[in-house]
Amino acid sequence: MSDLPTILLRLFAVVIVVFMLTPLLVLVLFCFSERSLVTFPITGFTLDWFEKLFERPAFWDALQNSLIVTGTVGVVSTLLGTSAAMVLARIRSRYVGPIMLLIMLPIMLPPLVLGVALLTYFSTVEVRLGLFTVILAHIVFTQPFVILIVQARMIGFDYRIVHGARDLGASHLKAFVTVTFPIIRPTIIGAAMVAMALSVDDFIVTFFTIGGGNTLPTFLWGMLRMDVNPTINIVAMLIMLLTVVVSLVALRVTRWRG
Amino acid sequence: MTPAIRSRGWLALPYLTVYLLVFVAPLLYFFVISFWRVRLFRLMPDASLANYAKTLEAHSVSLIFTFEIAFTIAVIVTTLAFVFAYVVRFKAGRYGTPLLFVVLIALFGGYLTKIYVWKTILGQAGVINSALGLLGIVNEPITFLLYNPVAVVITLSHYTLPLAILPIYGALRSIEDMPLRAARDLGASRFRVVWDVVLPQCRVGILIAFSLCLIFAAGDFVTPLLIGGPYTSMIGKLIQLQFGFHGDAAMGSAMAFTVIGICLVVIFMVGTLIFTVFRVR
Repeated sequence: MSDLPTILLRLFAVVIVVFMLTPLLVLVLFCFSERSLVTFPITGFTLDWFEKLFERPAFWDALQNSLIVTGTVGVVSTLLGTSAAMVLARIRSRYVGPIMLLIMLPIMLPPLVLGVALLTYFSTVEVRLGLFTVILAHIVFTQPFVILIVQARMIGFDYRIVHGARDLGASHLKAFVTVTFPIIRPTIIGAAMVAMALSVDDFIVTFFTIGGGNTLPTFLWGMLRMDVNPTINIVAMLIMLLTVVVSLVALRVTRWRG
Repeated sequence: MTPAIRSRGWLALPYLTVYLLVFVAPLLYFFVISFWRVRLFRLMPDASLANYAKTLEAHSVSLIFTFEIAFTIAVIVTTLAFVFAYVVRFKAGRYGTPLLFVVLIALFGGYLTKIYVWKTILGQAGVINSALGLLGIVNEPITFLLYNPVAVVITLSHYTLPLAILPIYGALRSIEDMPLRAARDLGASRFRVVWDVVLPQCRVGILIAFSLCLIFAAGDFVTPLLIGGPYTSMIGKLIQLQFGFHGDAAMGSAMAFTVIGICLVVIFMVGTLIFTVFRVR
């Protein structure tokens, strides 16, 4: 049976869970509140604010840009990261630790520093800011996660079956497509989802590298600085929903591994 | 390693190209310009420490304030994260997995979204005030909830907590139950077991959690801007201003690297402290 300290510790865990989740639930609640202020009492529920938001073309532009960026980042980051992780997983040397540290460097900096460094660089080498530069920037900070996830899976990989396929005459590519890939597919999909969740949520780096135009987070930022109206809630909730759904899919396909 | 495998190192080339061109080159350039100066809105090559001197001179108040806040957040969050991870690992039984699941949900959920929600929760006409008013607890709205350092600490703690729990939980997971039970059987108090057996085995996870919180809080500019109000002059806000229309990128760079430098020093000191106090016996 549980004694007092254990009960107190569990109570603490419950308090922390409430602290972590309540703000998110509050947001969802107020998306449907009919009053134009985010305050209690909630006098009734409505879907009007959704309608108001969906009438704005700027919202659809931002959503489209977000989908373009996130989709591209998901594909490219996963391809680059997976191929790099394949090489990395086979290196058996004392330099693996330092190499991993270098790979992690983009996510050990404050996002603000990465954002302004890229802004300065892009304007010096005269690359026009736009979705292209946002995608490049997102690839840089999602790469470490993809590599980390895929490399962790490849560490325990049994290469004998790949060698078997090679001995039977399969090319490197064929051996990868027919043997290696099907085995590690859940991990790769999971890594892609993590990269996409991070990309769709990113505000700081996007803010500095986008020039004009908007993704959902920068659109939300614009609204925060100008309007006071409940459609803000809905944009904020959509970003939350996108990241949470994508990461839940990631958990589901990887079944908690990696 | 067979030659056939070694010859496929080229697979890492696309990654390396992006890493060098879009990360190393920008960061090096950004570092170099911290020694340059800006004349008539253009960067001019130079080799002076003037920007750093100016950073320490003109922004020392803001730097100290930023690191007071960031350090507070890092200490609070790391402590909460350790206790929570400890409960998940040792005390929650079959509820461990659902608890971890909550952490992963909270980990995502949107950066700007969370800051915005805290703004609406703490605001003068916000969730807390209207709820308190409705319950008849207060007659006038409480104005001291938003636009102050405490609001910044709450918001950033909420954001970094899931981030801090994961590395600590990762470290706790690899600790075996047997030595802990043995220590208890031999008469060690609960507290001694945690202090002498558990903590020394997860000190790397704790340091990672601490560093993540510190770096993130010290470099954030959105939270002080939206939550902190005009008197919360954290350095991130000032750095960001240097990259606007009338900004001085060279100055901004020196300020950014000063922040990184201070972060590294603090992490080194805290790391040394953790590794001395929690020794593996």
